[in-house]
Amino acid sequence: MTVNVTSADWYALAPISIVAITALVVLLADLFAPKHVNRYLAIVLAVLGIVVAATDCKAAYAHDFAAFGGAFIVGGFSVVFQEIILIAALGSVVLYGAIGKDDRIAGAIALMLWSACGAMLMAGAGSLMTIFLGIELLSLALYCLCGLADRPTAREAAFKYLILSSVASGFMLYGMAMLFGASGSVALADLTNPVLASNPLLWIGGGLFLVGISFKLSLVPFHAWSPDVYEGAPLPVTAFMSVATKAGTLAVFARFVYAAMPSGVADRLLLPIWIVAGISMIAGNVGMLAQHDLKRLLAYSGIAQIGYMLAALAGGTALGMRYAIFYLAAYTFMNLGAFAIAALISDDAEQGSRLANYRGLAQKSPAAAALMTVFLLALAGLPPTAGFLGKILILSTTASAGYVWLGIALIVGTAISLYAYAKIIRAMYQRDEHAHTHAAHPFVPLAWASAIVCCVAVVVLTFVPPALRDVLPLVR
Amino acid sequence: MNPYGPVAIYLCVALAAALLFTFLPGLLGRAKPNPQKQEAYECGVEPTSAVHGRFPVRFYLIAMLFVIFDVEAASFYPWAVQMHALRVFGLVEMIVFVIVLAIGYAYVWKKGGFQWR
Repeated sequence: MTVNVTSADWYALAPISIVAITALVVLLADLFAPKHVNRYLAIVLAVLGIVVAATDCKAAYAHDFAAFGGAFIVGGFSVVFQEIILIAALGSVVLYGAIGKDDRIAGAIALMLWSACGAMLMAGAGSLMTIFLGIELLSLALYCLCGLADRPTAREAAFKYLILSSVASGFMLYGMAMLFGASGSVALADLTNPVLASNPLLWIGGGLFLVGISFKLSLVPFHAWSPDVYEGAPLPVTAFMSVATKAGTLAVFARFVYAAMPSGVADRLLLPIWIVAGISMIAGNVGMLAQHDLKRLLAYSGIAQIGYMLAALAGGTALGMRYAIFYLAAYTFMNLGAFAIAALISDDAEQGSRLANYRGLAQKSPAAAALMTVFLLALAGLPPTAGFLGKILILSTTASAGYVWLGIALIVGTAISLYAYAKIIRAMYQRDEHAHTHAAHPFVPLAWASAIVCCVAVVVLTFVPPALRDVLPLVR
Repeated sequence: MNPYGPVAIYLCVALAAALLFTFLPGLLGRAKPNPQKQEAYECGVEPTSAVHGRFPVRFYLIAMLFVIFDVEAASFYPWAVQMHALRVFGLVEMIVFVIVLAIGYAYVWKKGGFQWR
């Protein structure tokens, strides 16, 4: 098969290219600019690049186009996911600018941008090759980023992530090889051929592929890496990882579920995934109860949240897709916001990630405590936040698609999680004479800005949910 | 006869031979074990050692840099062979590749990655 590559194909990749080139420019600027402007330059360039990419990306909304013979598909779906990933990158770059070390800032920001490129590639991936390329680009940069902090747990995190993620990639690749063996093509669209429904290769390959996906999403039997890795990685990297990895992988999963299976296969092949999603909601929220570290807590929370998003996709309805994306967007803002507050009260040792340091926070910084309360309420799914609306929408679509038991798991999980979130809120508003005094970081205004923007977004999304009418179809 | 018949026979013979040579020495030989004999033989290298030993991390740095340039050479070669077929597209791809690599090289150089410390 020969693919005629035209300039339109390259334009489809423009947002990704802009982000990648920005990363190179950040590195070059770090080499040649004087030392004392390094930090400003890196942040300004990265933010500029992300904003340009986001503006450019928007143009493809509602203009479906299959670039490179269907290997990369732009359209409403990819645009929404790419924008979410860019928002995650923006938030994390700003946080890194706020608390990162001077001599590492350019390298870390460049790696973060490349990682975002991988996630953006996954958002539009229409063939098995592009999916794998995106996943590896995303992960390789993250392995390095995880090890950047100056503590032994960072190295442990990087090593654990590298080894376990490689194993998962192996599973996924093996599954992809079998899917290719079944359909004779790497294009996802060719997997819908009804002849394949009786082919055992499709079943085994699809199963292995989903195992790889479940690992990247940190669903429950494959979740053990995420609390350790989240804890060890530098705070802004954890913020990025918790959102961008999930967004990219969710995009791949959604495309696979909605557009890459012969009819009749989906119900049975995906049933284990829905069960696992239900277990994740419960287990993630139960795991949260025992945590003393904000990053670990948010890792367990993320395990549960991704369960909610998958529940929206159960049944494969058009509404479910929109609600999953809406919840992902809401989750992006509340998670980034919570990490921004953690960055606010951190110094280099990142003691802002230890829950003990939140005791009596309201006395010292009422604004930070109030913002954190909003984010925690949103994560728990209480009004008036986007988390509440997202959960209601997911409940309605899951129940009407015939997966009532998933809805019940969602409610039970939410009830459990309330206790864990409320514990932090109570600690923040407790009187505490021995409250820690935090070393004020010079670049803290950046973290404040990020937290405030996230807070506004979390509240506004409740009242003005995006319509997202043009996210389907996913494959052409 | 099925075309895979000979393969099946070959596999059976190979399996039988392997099993035979695995168990025959145990039946025929006299067992007089000592610690040296029990070790797996690996050309004089100690087969196992403590995991907590110290090793110079410099080696890995050099090894990694080597791998990078090895990959560069490895991707140059097929391009050189197919240069006429790929035409301008191949040339542009290669230039982009080299520029990206050169920026990484410059970064490592400037940050002192090549200093032997």
